[in-house]
Amino acid sequence: MLDKILTEKFRRTLKMVFTDIRNQQDRRDEQEFAKDEARIKERLIDTFTTYRPDVILENDFRIAAIDGSGTDSLMTLDDIRIHLLSTSSVVVDTNTHSENLFSPIEREALENELGEQPQIDIHWHSGVRGDARKKLAETLASIYPLKDVASLTLPFFQDYTRGEISSFSDFAETEFEKHIPRLREVESLISREQLLTNPTVHEEIRKTSEYAAARRILMSDIQPKYLLLDGAMSVFMHFVRHYPSMPSGFMLRDVCALARQKNVVLCAVSKNHTIPFAHRIAGMARDAFGETAKWFCHLPSKEDPEGGLHIYEDRTYIPPMLAVPYLYSFSRDNRPSRIDFDRIWWLENIFVSGDPGTTRANEKKLFAELEFMSRDARWYGYPVPLALAHESCKLSYEDLRLAKEVCMDVRSEMGLERRSAEPLRADYDL
Amino acid sequence: MSLDRDKLGELYGKVGVGNQTTLGIMGNNRDISVGEIFMIYSHRDGHERVFFFRVLGLENYLRQVEDLARVAGTLMVEGDAYLSGIERNMLLSVGGRMLGYAEKIDEKWTFRSPRRLPDHLASVYRPVPGTSDEFVKEMLECQTDGEIYVGDLQVGEDTLDVPIKIPAKFLPMHVGIFGSTGAGKSNLMMVLIKSIIDNNLNAFRKPNQESTRISAFCIDPHDEFAKGVDKFGIQHVVEDMSATTRSEVIGDFYYLTTHKRATTRDIRKYAREIRILWSEIQPRDLYSIREYTAEMTSFIDSQYSAKGEDWITTILNMDEETADAANVQKGTLRAVKRRLSFLRRSLIYIESGNSILSEIFFAMETGRILVVNTSLMSDKAQFLLTTIVTRTLSDMRRALKSSGNLGDFENQGQMRLPPSFFSKVKAQARAFYGYGGVDDDTPVQDPRSLPVIQVTVEEAPSILNPELMRGQSVFKDISRQGRKFNIGLLVVSQQVSVLDNVILSQMNTEINLRLGNEREIRACIENASVNISGFENEFRVMSRGEAIVTQSYRELPLPLRIPLFDDIYEKDKHSYKDKGSKKSQEHIL
Repeated sequence: MLDKILTEKFRRTLKMVFTDIRNQQDRRDEQEFAKDEARIKERLIDTFTTYRPDVILENDFRIAAIDGSGTDSLMTLDDIRIHLLSTSSVVVDTNTHSENLFSPIEREALENELGEQPQIDIHWHSGVRGDARKKLAETLASIYPLKDVASLTLPFFQDYTRGEISSFSDFAETEFEKHIPRLREVESLISREQLLTNPTVHEEIRKTSEYAAARRILMSDIQPKYLLLDGAMSVFMHFVRHYPSMPSGFMLRDVCALARQKNVVLCAVSKNHTIPFAHRIAGMARDAFGETAKWFCHLPSKEDPEGGLHIYEDRTYIPPMLAVPYLYSFSRDNRPSRIDFDRIWWLENIFVSGDPGTTRANEKKLFAELEFMSRDARWYGYPVPLALAHESCKLSYEDLRLAKEVCMDVRSEMGLERRSAEPLRADYDL
Repeated sequence: MSLDRDKLGELYGKVGVGNQTTLGIMGNNRDISVGEIFMIYSHRDGHERVFFFRVLGLENYLRQVEDLARVAGTLMVEGDAYLSGIERNMLLSVGGRMLGYAEKIDEKWTFRSPRRLPDHLASVYRPVPGTSDEFVKEMLECQTDGEIYVGDLQVGEDTLDVPIKIPAKFLPMHVGIFGSTGAGKSNLMMVLIKSIIDNNLNAFRKPNQESTRISAFCIDPHDEFAKGVDKFGIQHVVEDMSATTRSEVIGDFYYLTTHKRATTRDIRKYAREIRILWSEIQPRDLYSIREYTAEMTSFIDSQYSAKGEDWITTILNMDEETADAANVQKGTLRAVKRRLSFLRRSLIYIESGNSILSEIFFAMETGRILVVNTSLMSDKAQFLLTTIVTRTLSDMRRALKSSGNLGDFENQGQMRLPPSFFSKVKAQARAFYGYGGVDDDTPVQDPRSLPVIQVTVEEAPSILNPELMRGQSVFKDISRQGRKFNIGLLVVSQQVSVLDNVILSQMNTEINLRLGNEREIRACIENASVNISGFENEFRVMSRGEAIVTQSYRELPLPLRIPLFDDIYEKDKHSYKDKGSKKSQEHIL
């Protein structure tokens, strides 16, 4: 292979690809961005006053964070895959009074409330058989603590219709009426059956585990002020039915509704994101506020005053359904990250209609708090509870190798054939 | 069986990586020092064991931080940065050597060399003085018990109440004390002398226990032992005893000096002057302390065989014509005379008069200690004294070992020892050596049932060097055969590297104190009776009074701290008094 990769021909092919991208995509994007530039600079991007390092908050508060990790191939037995999931919940306290900033609460207290941390779960799934959807539905239903499917789906419709639907009786004469039978079982909530590839299944189980952990925190006595999730608040919608195509979409909205009810700020942070021109926005922030400034930038939607940005007009996933994304940077050394908030919460708590000044003041207050929780020297600029959750749940290559070995051992102990569990390619040393 | 792990000390960490010789431990962020001993509880395959581990290196470790320099940089640059819950993640990565493991077999603790590995992620305990002492003492009993107390087991900068002792039966297999100036050799010698006195006192008080009495001929080159370095010395121990006890344990004297009149009044009561007759010196005594050419030895030997114990007088009085007539070159005669001339000038080595040698013999055969003040003696005179005493004692016991009964012994003694000396001591010798009588046909005792005799060789490299040991040195025989005669050498030296291999290879106990330089540290580690490779750093950080004891008959290299003589004397002084000792012991109990 190397004799192909190291040739001039390979380099030429790459150049053609990049030229093509530049010609087709970048040029159009550049034009679109030019339309947004002034608005971003003047009205969407801003800095804020940070907390003093020795600040003593009037009321110290707690922040919870959840992260998950896993593999869809702990073991493969013919067409059955065994998924390994690790989900970690971390709760820290601002602790400004005791000067032990953002220290995690006692593990014992946490585990008393939430069960063993991190939670390790194993599920099996067959991606090919006719019962694939049934099996996935069983797994998801077993993981998510809210077992009543009607209660699970309702929060989405409430939020989506801005309260027009608040009970199943409100479905009458709406576009959703005909779908009611499908909203009674987890299995029938899976409407992307044809797309149930292994990565999709794993992602769905992982998200469900994380939302289940979030729900447990919200229902517990921990009472955090913030609940941080890893990733984005994206909900994949069914194009025809106009509701989430997978149960996790309903679960996210259930968690959002519960968080609002419990006065918890729910947000999702992603280091990896695909917001176009994020580096250009960062450049604008540097120019406007200086090299070391900490800043945020609202990415408005069509419904916001002045509408959405041109740069993501064709990118339907930005902003996600019922979420408000921001770009932010709290560290001069790192590229900007993205944070999503529940739009309903945002409308109730941040946005003030017709009063951009108060809206901005609310945003500044919010980001000042987020920045304060992102100063750990190990992950400067990233919220420390999420970093701790990540550290706690991550499955290293070595962990996985050992887990696979244990898998083999257990099979041997049970008198099951060992060989069928080994990858077939191992036979050919490939 | 299930051990009470709380008795091991405080839970410190977990075993991470390693093999049966070196281990890496991940432990709490505590103030650990190099040299500390940890115990690792392991339960593998039904075997409950306690592994002993010695810290040789330390490294700070922060969990969740791969690039510590970057974090430190962020803390510097971003003035508002913090480290959340970092105390929990601050760990120490501790590297060190496995010393071995203790295992209870048939209700008895045994200790083995490190040939096994503790279980995965085994718990590591840090001994706590006051908590762990009893249990550690119990587990290490086979590694620490004996008659001669040297110091207490050191765990880092603290010690546990676990006394380290050398068994008396291993003293004839020679002991080495190595340490640079100021490492604590004098204090150690005083502690050893006190231990020997304590042992003999115990043997006297409890005659039914069949304890071995120990004799020691202790060279004191700075005249410190009797008076003491600070407040107390051996004299105080002697004074504390009742007359009866003193007479049994110490005898009429314990202090030998060149000038009795210069001795302080209190010590003078127990002092004798060192005087050795020329007739008690044999040619090989001289060969043991200085090199002689083949011509010189041939001349001396011929004179010795012709004139017997008058050989020194004969040579010193010989004129050149007589030598010439005997085919001896003038140069040889002059050289030998020059070498012997110090005897003529010496106050100690006398042509006629009263010798102390027979009294030294008597003391050594009755389990007593002699402190020999050599501060006013020349090096040569001191070495010759050590040699004569060693050779005389070993020849007496050699004669005994070669005999079946006292009649044989007398014949052997006459053959081996200067006649005038032997005739002086033979009556006493028969009394010591006979097995239930003094008649010619009385069977003799095995030398191993007699008191162990320990002879100090101070500044050992001067006489135990390879050049002298190649010749007819009396120490060559003693180092190889001392154990047969129950005579051992206590070799005291600042250097290990310059000592002869014969003595080093025969040495079975080493008390290694702080050493002067890298070469000596290396030599000390190479010579140790137990593998202590990797302990280089330890030697570099050792303080005064700290030592590592290695014994060929024990698996565990024992780090210890030698207490100050004054401290242990004050602690024990009540025990020397006959009356009231019971009372004060009761009080302590």
